[in-house]
Amino acid sequence: MSKMYVGENIIKVDSKEKVIGKALYPDDLSFEGMLYLKIKRAVHPHAILRKLDISKAEKLPGIVKIITAADIPWVKNFGLIIKDQPVLIGIGQKMRYMGDALAIVIAENKEIASQALRLIEVEVEKLEVISDPIRAIEKDAPPIHNNGNILATHYLEKGNIEKGFAQADLIVDKEYRTSFLDHIPLQVESGLGVFDAKTEVITIWAATQWIHDTQADMAQALGLPKEKIRIIQPAIGGAFGKREDISVHLHLALAAMLTKRPVKLTYTREESMITQSKRHAFIVRAKTGATKTGYLTAWQVEVIGDTGAYASSGPAVVRKGLYHCTGPYNVPNVKGVAYTIYTNNTYAGAMRGFGTTQMAFAYESQMDILAFELGIDPVRFRLQNAYEIGSSTPNQQILNTSVGVKDTIQEAARMANWKEESR
Amino acid sequence: MKRFGRGIATIMFGFGYGEGFPDYSVASIEFAEDNKILVRTAAADVGQGVLTVVVQIAAEVLKVSPEVIRIIPGDTHLTKNAGSSSATRQTFFTGNAVKNAAQALLSNIYHYASIEFRSNYAELSVKGGYVFRVDQPNNKISFWELAQKVKEKGEILRAEASFFPRTNKPNPETGRGEKVYVAYTFVTQIAEVEVDTITGNVQVLKIYTAADIGKAINPQNVEGQIEGGAMQGIGMALMEEQVLKDGVTLNANLTDYLIPTAMDMPQFETCLIEKEDSDGPFGAKGIGEPGTIATAPAIANAIFDAIGIRFYDLPITPDKILKALKEQKDKKL
Repeated sequence: MSKMYVGENIIKVDSKEKVIGKALYPDDLSFEGMLYLKIKRAVHPHAILRKLDISKAEKLPGIVKIITAADIPWVKNFGLIIKDQPVLIGIGQKMRYMGDALAIVIAENKEIASQALRLIEVEVEKLEVISDPIRAIEKDAPPIHNNGNILATHYLEKGNIEKGFAQADLIVDKEYRTSFLDHIPLQVESGLGVFDAKTEVITIWAATQWIHDTQADMAQALGLPKEKIRIIQPAIGGAFGKREDISVHLHLALAAMLTKRPVKLTYTREESMITQSKRHAFIVRAKTGATKTGYLTAWQVEVIGDTGAYASSGPAVVRKGLYHCTGPYNVPNVKGVAYTIYTNNTYAGAMRGFGTTQMAFAYESQMDILAFELGIDPVRFRLQNAYEIGSSTPNQQILNTSVGVKDTIQEAARMANWKEESR
Repeated sequence: MKRFGRGIATIMFGFGYGEGFPDYSVASIEFAEDNKILVRTAAADVGQGVLTVVVQIAAEVLKVSPEVIRIIPGDTHLTKNAGSSSATRQTFFTGNAVKNAAQALLSNIYHYASIEFRSNYAELSVKGGYVFRVDQPNNKISFWELAQKVKEKGEILRAEASFFPRTNKPNPETGRGEKVYVAYTFVTQIAEVEVDTITGNVQVLKIYTAADIGKAINPQNVEGQIEGGAMQGIGMALMEEQVLKDGVTLNANLTDYLIPTAMDMPQFETCLIEKEDSDGPFGAKGIGEPGTIATAPAIANAIFDAIGIRFYDLPITPDKILKALKEQKDKKL
């Protein structure tokens, strides 16, 4: 049936306001009598906080309040999957990466807040910094969290991997590495908070990719009923996964509650890059077998995902990477294991592709190496192994509908005028 | 010397949370006083265009101009859960929720209008915000008039619907599950590159993309997702890296952390494969994440094609290329 609006290039409904500068992003908003926040961050990536002296900073004219963990004993940890992230690090507690928050500075303006950060005196007991996930899983490595540095282990098994490799004429066994990446959305983390003393509702204007999830996590951390946390979404300047985790939200809520005044917090770009989530750095060991006629027989992977200091979406990201380890190709025998590892790096979470982007670098490199070694054109090699209706994924999910992968290979090759090459 | 190469990468992406995690979206549609139709959804438009998708779908089902549709901004106290704008799920989940809500509203429009017209449901039709009898098209009531008449009866002309497909939790030992993801999007990209063997610089000249997306609700925005995703993929392949030394970030600024600029932008040629064969709205599948996934491996494969060197770690910076070229030359000597 022909359609009137679906399939049409309607101009984005929010583009005009954005183009003429009328769209309001969080940092564009303000309230009368608003205070500004800055966060005192960790001074070492792995250390126990021994002393936090805010007395000099508090005396600075224009400082309204400085909140430390001692002021908020009722506040609980937060986190997307596992509640392992502290809102503020208290005396005797550990900072686990450079983005951990030690104090919330609340001032009449941003400059005074920044000055006060420098007047806060911090003493720490330094611990070994673990920046390499391989070091993290060694027996004598200090645990970053109580239960050790292996946060999660996931498995994949289909068919018989030994049989699969026995059937192979060629086996390619390689190790791939990808880096920590920042999403670099145009808009840095920013928001406003208002506490209504009458209704006791805290309203937060801040970008999030999932307002109801952020509301729920904030409510449990603050020990409040959900309806006391209201989140209103201003215009969002990009996200790419970086706005799944809580950033400014809890610090804004606490500052608004404790000062009873509107508050604003906007990260610097540097702060955003050090503090907020990253794409996981992956190590992927991939071993792939194929027959000399170019059919895949076995695929084995070991994945190490560095999730940094906190879990965030980490276990799900690394698992999803594992579940996509063969790419869209028929492989009867698959085996895999994936470890999600804590380190003292910036915590890693969701980023466009959620673990499968790193994995694709591994599996598509493997496919190219195999094609080259077998002397088969890489387009033909992919085509003859690609999924079709009835194919089974690494999870053994049978694909019954909408499997257009071969069409994509053929169409891309047609557009690029790809002439088959045999080496 | 500049050496040309091209590489291909084909990827899959199982979208939605999947893996048995509850995944749903709720949307509702009602009539506003100013002759607008109000859609309530908490779906975050982070620039990807979900609200445009929502407007197009609601307009399509209700046969009204897209200008008539208004969306209230995301607010926990005015909307219900739509899930996250992640996992490439909003077009599929919120798109379906809005489609279901629009269909439910349309059913109610027919229900109440059939009472007004003393007609049977099948004899009615809608167009441009009016409901009318097919045999008497001039005898019509606007949606807003109808909403008022319904209100006078003490009822409300509105609809709420959701989309809540099931997936299975994979077996923890094997990963096996009958339906681990609601569906997969597939993309193939071919990258053409030029490697400068003197500077080690890689210029991506052209990226061809073919994407199996079921149906493009808004083809231009789908292409936008693919081109934007490819730019992020170029960053991942060639330059982006948070450099950490002992837990300390050494390049926490945009002078030292490089991202692609307009100067790095290749030509794009994109083909959308639309078989309208998924369970998404009008057969659509998601494209948000799949747009970026194939790019880095396609470029890595193109670099191999150009200079015969395979790189196993990203990003493939000029330094790494020059070092590898020198090793290649030393080996030949």
